[in-house]
Amino acid sequence: MAVRVFGVNLIKTNRNLLQNACKTPATTFGHTAVAQLATEVTVQASPAAVQKQKVSKAMRAYLKRANEHDEFMKTQHLEFQIGKRHLANMMGADAETFTQEDINEAISYLFPSGLYDPKARPAMKSPEEVFPARKAAEFDETGRPFHSMFYTGKPNFFQLLHDIVEETRKLADLEERMLRRGNKPDENQKLEMSGFQLLPKDQLELVLVESIADIEYSNFTNSMDRLIASPYAYKSKAFIERFLKPLLDQSKQLEVPKPKIDEQGRQFITTYECLRKTARADVTIRLPGTGKISINGKDISYFEDENCREQLLFPLQFSEMLGKVDVEANVEGGGPSGQAGAIRWGIAMSLRSFVDQEMIESMRLAGLLTRDYRRRERKKFGQEGARRKYTWKKR
Amino acid sequence: MKMIRNRLAVQLQRHVLQMSMSTNAAAAAAPAEGAAISEFRTAVTNPGEHSALQVAKFYTIPAEQKKQIFAGGGLPKQYEQQIKTFTEACLMVRNPALEVLEYIKKADLSKPVVRYLLYGENGTGKTLTMAHVLHYGALNDFLLVHVPWAPNWMKRPKEASNAAGQEGMIDLPFDAAAWLVHFKGQNSKLLQRLELKTSKEYVWSKRESTPAGSTLLELVEHGIARIKYASETTAALISELKLLSTAGKCKVMVAIDGYNAFFHPVTRIFSDNKQRVTPDKITLTHPFLNITRYDWTNGVCILSVDKIAMTEGHMDSYMPRYLLGTEGFEHLDPFVPIHVENYSDKEFHSYISYYLDRHWINKTPQGFEEQLKFMSNKNPYALMQLVRAL
Repeated sequence: MAVRVFGVNLIKTNRNLLQNACKTPATTFGHTAVAQLATEVTVQASPAAVQKQKVSKAMRAYLKRANEHDEFMKTQHLEFQIGKRHLANMMGADAETFTQEDINEAISYLFPSGLYDPKARPAMKSPEEVFPARKAAEFDETGRPFHSMFYTGKPNFFQLLHDIVEETRKLADLEERMLRRGNKPDENQKLEMSGFQLLPKDQLELVLVESIADIEYSNFTNSMDRLIASPYAYKSKAFIERFLKPLLDQSKQLEVPKPKIDEQGRQFITTYECLRKTARADVTIRLPGTGKISINGKDISYFEDENCREQLLFPLQFSEMLGKVDVEANVEGGGPSGQAGAIRWGIAMSLRSFVDQEMIESMRLAGLLTRDYRRRERKKFGQEGARRKYTWKKR
Repeated sequence: MKMIRNRLAVQLQRHVLQMSMSTNAAAAAAPAEGAAISEFRTAVTNPGEHSALQVAKFYTIPAEQKKQIFAGGGLPKQYEQQIKTFTEACLMVRNPALEVLEYIKKADLSKPVVRYLLYGENGTGKTLTMAHVLHYGALNDFLLVHVPWAPNWMKRPKEASNAAGQEGMIDLPFDAAAWLVHFKGQNSKLLQRLELKTSKEYVWSKRESTPAGSTLLELVEHGIARIKYASETTAALISELKLLSTAGKCKVMVAIDGYNAFFHPVTRIFSDNKQRVTPDKITLTHPFLNITRYDWTNGVCILSVDKIAMTEGHMDSYMPRYLLGTEGFEHLDPFVPIHVENYSDKEFHSYISYYLDRHWINKTPQGFEEQLKFMSNKNPYALMQLVRAL
């Protein structure tokens, strides 16, 4: 919520000053109710000097809309609270401590849905999430815009560009002065950009509450790059960091489970839910082993195809664990290649517990730890298959 | 294109290799028998002398003996090709064959015949085990009654016609004649030496007959010449063999590969009324069922049951009880089952060394043996298929 609007800050700062000054006028605008809900959309108060002037038509229309929106949000919010309490009662939980996660769980339990797209499934979220944030008034009651760049149509964006350039200039000046004094930038404080990236376009749009074009986004990235390239970029670290997003090392994020010990004193790891196409498998790896394979009680002759056997071979050979571990797998559903793929993924995931971090990273890069989400593509009517068309014949 | 060119290059290379090997064959053969014997080879070429010492080692079947025994089949086609490529007929000494040989050597032949039944998964070496035993039989004056692959008769006969004498029976004249040729090829020397005579007169038609006291060779040659009577000749020959061996005049080794084909529910042969016939309606079935009974002496039976002798829907298990069915199992009971398994580690390593020695495997990246072991599951046939491309 804090990121919503830049322009609002102006009004907010004004609010405290002016609340004492004017208590008479704005009651007609449903002022008190708004104050509780604080959806910040309405103009809470306006300067006393302005009060006397005539309220412009645009402002009046805006205030009407804003009021309606506030009312709407208020009822939505109430309904959400009531719904949440009901849901908590139904689930036998405490309504006060019922979180959004609990809500999601309850909804998927009460309204099980087989719809493929998660967005199409039933959901209950707070109205702030469902209804996108709106910009607050960008002009005062006389119709004068607050923002000097109001007439660009995207004041926040151009303000941002303006700020970036200002920062860049400041740094250039600093560099110049430092050069003259014979100082050099501090190497230790150098801005570390590896592991970070600029906000992607859609996230920047959320921050700005404005939609921007591709070329505008590239303008943003170019000017940011210029700013970051400056040797004194660390001086405006706080500013730059507002528009950075950390890149995470994926395999560091995935937590590697600790192996358990079985009754023979061997380490083992079981990976459940190994999926590929429509095959489901669970795979157990035991260390130390002799390279024994058991798939649904059979050895590797369970797979007759050479390529399916190769699928199982690959993770073991890649991590140099061939002949050192035993593999047990239960697999059902799907065909041979799907089952082999599921087991391969299971083997690779389980092997993480028995190899070092470096090997895990190279396994990830080899694509062994990536789940293969491809599914069979449906046949289309009017076509021979998913993509292939019927033979075209002139007549 | 590039792949094709590569493959061509490899083929050329192999071809050149073969040429050079064949020219050196005589030179190479001499040291193989003498001093320079690799650890995976054995110089003992007589199967009778094989023992646990030679397990997992290769012995070479001399060319003329191979020609005598396996000219009409008996080695799998792909193994035959491999033999041709390697310019030597090498067999690995393996435990199942040694087990059978041990039993045969110790058996009292005056007792009713013992039936040994080889069984095991696809491609584990049942046929080659049988080949090993056949080699022993040929060297030890056994008359060989060898059916290289019985299902051929039920699945792809050359020609089927109604039997003349018996109502509702089907004759496979060409297949019977081919078998007689095979029999003659394997045993002609021994037959000439033993001079076995028929016990009674066989009348084929008004004008043709084989008088009592004529040699078995004459009987066989008649069958080959008069293809129409080949099936009956086969039956006559086999009943004569039973009589003669019971009388102690000869020893007989029966070896039938894919024996369970005789008990398969149906064949691919159609009768006159367009119905599939059962194997017992085929005249060729009966003599071979007859000779696998235990009502005669002075012989041994080595049979094998195989999944691929069956057709779709009957291939769930490799166990004899399943493959033979009730009828076949009761026919054979009691028998000595011999399980033919995949390679042991030692055998596997030995085979890899052999392939390396023959330059059949050219690419040897680190750990290739382990990978092959994993991929083939130490199954001989799977291994053979896998190393083709290496």
